Amino acid sequence: MPLIDPSVVDLSRLQFALTALYHFLFVPLTLGMTFILAAMETVYVITGKPIYKEMTQFWGKLFGINFAIGVATGLTMEFEFGTNWSMYSHFVGDVFGTPLAIEGLMAFFMESTFIGLMFFGWDRLSKPGHLAVTYLTALGSNLSALWILIANGFMQNPKGASFDPVTMRMQFTSFLHLVFSDDAQAKFVHTSIAGFVTGSLFVMGISAFYILKKRHKELAARSFRMAAIFGIISTLAVVTLGDALGRLDYLVQPTKIAAIEGLWQNSNAHSSAMAAPWLLFALPNDATQSNSAEIGIPYVLTPLVTHSENKVIPGLIQQEQQAAPRIENGIKALDALQQYGQDHDAASLATFKQYEQDMGYGFLAQRYAPDQNLALVTPQNQQEIVQKASRDIVPNVFVTFWSFRIMMFLGFYFVALFAFAAYFSLTNRLEKHPFLLKLSVWSIPLPILACEFGWITAEAGRQPWSVYGWLPTFQAASSHPVGYMVFSLIGFALLYSTFIAAELYLMFKFARLGPHEHDSHTAPAQGGAAPMFAKPGLADKSWQ
Amino acid sequence: MSTFFKFVGLALVIGFALFLAVVAGDYGPWYFAWLVGTTMIVLISAAGAVLFDTQEKSGKGDI
Repeated sequence: MPLIDPSVVDLSRLQFALTALYHFLFVPLTLGMTFILAAMETVYVITGKPIYKEMTQFWGKLFGINFAIGVATGLTMEFEFGTNWSMYSHFVGDVFGTPLAIEGLMAFFMESTFIGLMFFGWDRLSKPGHLAVTYLTALGSNLSALWILIANGFMQNPKGASFDPVTMRMQFTSFLHLVFSDDAQAKFVHTSIAGFVTGSLFVMGISAFYILKKRHKELAARSFRMAAIFGIISTLAVVTLGDALGRLDYLVQPTKIAAIEGLWQNSNAHSSAMAAPWLLFALPNDATQSNSAEIGIPYVLTPLVTHSENKVIPGLIQQEQQAAPRIENGIKALDALQQYGQDHDAASLATFKQYEQDMGYGFLAQRYAPDQNLALVTPQNQQEIVQKASRDIVPNVFVTFWSFRIMMFLGFYFVALFAFAAYFSLTNRLEKHPFLLKLSVWSIPLPILACEFGWITAEAGRQPWSVYGWLPTFQAASSHPVGYMVFSLIGFALLYSTFIAAELYLMFKFARLGPHEHDSHTAPAQGGAAPMFAKPGLADKSWQ
Repeated sequence: MSTFFKFVGLALVIGFALFLAVVAGDYGPWYFAWLVGTTMIVLISAAGAVLFDTQEKSGKGDI
């Protein structure tokens, strides 16, 4: 079977990256804001002070704007698996589809139901009842993210499935292994808590704006305090989980961790593994497979990545060399699989089983085989084909290296910002530090940026695989005309840019307005604007 | 009677929480950490707000 046009593969990747990155502008804020709202409402229920109800409703309104647009942008991606990644869907659909289906149930049944109750239930539910609904909304949105990240965890480190040579696809062996895979766990906690950081800085930044403008100080001071504390604990947790993910990558995705660290040679190449420097700055060159302008800290890399003193981190060049025999085995596996498909003989099946674990590496060789047909690989041309294919196991090092560093530097900046913010808030000295308040305002978009670069690190570092070690990305796409892909890409870019413009307009508008009397759930006795999310008055038929 | 049902309800919640803790602790330590950590973050943040009210009441009403 001929390979899919590389332009179509690139455009499919670009389209998925674009829609995922757009969607991910909204998701972290949703994940974090729900639990911040739950914290505010908890204080309201415990203390009975109306200011906390006002806080919950005001921040809930901003959350509502973000949630609505976030859901709209997320819908398309599930369909893209079918339209643009049909080979991928065929190959792993049995496994990958399950968490996606559960996510749909979580997002559209649990989360949406409770969000409706949260917004419209203030006058209909008891205080504890409404608080329970707010917690369930928070849980629902985070559980929705959990199933997406379980699915993504499978792409990074396929667990709970095996390849069936009869159906020619991966099938479940253990649902529990899929759900409790290390990658899924660490990814979920890292991403969810990165959302907490995003929500915290959003609340803190807008509260800082009010404090600077000397408006709504009662609400702003309390919101700032809660967000600063929420943020400092969350950032420390994000850093911890980032470290766990790094170690996991070292164990199961060695090409990714080497790309993240710009490690072309083994970590013990110069003196000892222990002395290997951790690079703060470098300019990796993918063509020459080397770095320039390196600035590093010696004796940090090995303990940081391996959690040991002397374990060697394999370099990308050495990993290329180690991939060569796996590619040769992969070619044998695919030959045997083809033979088994025709004859269903035990000998072919036995050969396939012998080399099954390297099957994905055989796919890598296909693009370099004569007529892209592995049956035409001969002992004479095999070495050249394997050599070319082995270079493909290396992801784009420049992109992976720098996207990781931008995310990480921002993470440590957040630790410092939240630490100062929490300290000055707890000691009631915020107004004496207007620079910190201004910094909080200007930092509002930065956690979203960090989340985006984190996502790029995870997905660019996974290349060339769509399912690590099993299915290369260039084999996973659908075959479409290039024109179709360009048209749909432009359509998505225009539509999603409109969504972002709408979100920014509404956010700025409602954040500048602040909490007002007419937004309270209690309708004015006579005249005045209709309250947002209010129960329609029974005597008033105008809404019918 | 309502107090009795309240206690039964709370006992069921505690039982479920313990079951969740055992399963998550055995099979998914990071999931368990998320459950405990998120609860902790929410409660400490709420405590910060209560502390603010106390500081305000005791005359340290500056922001």
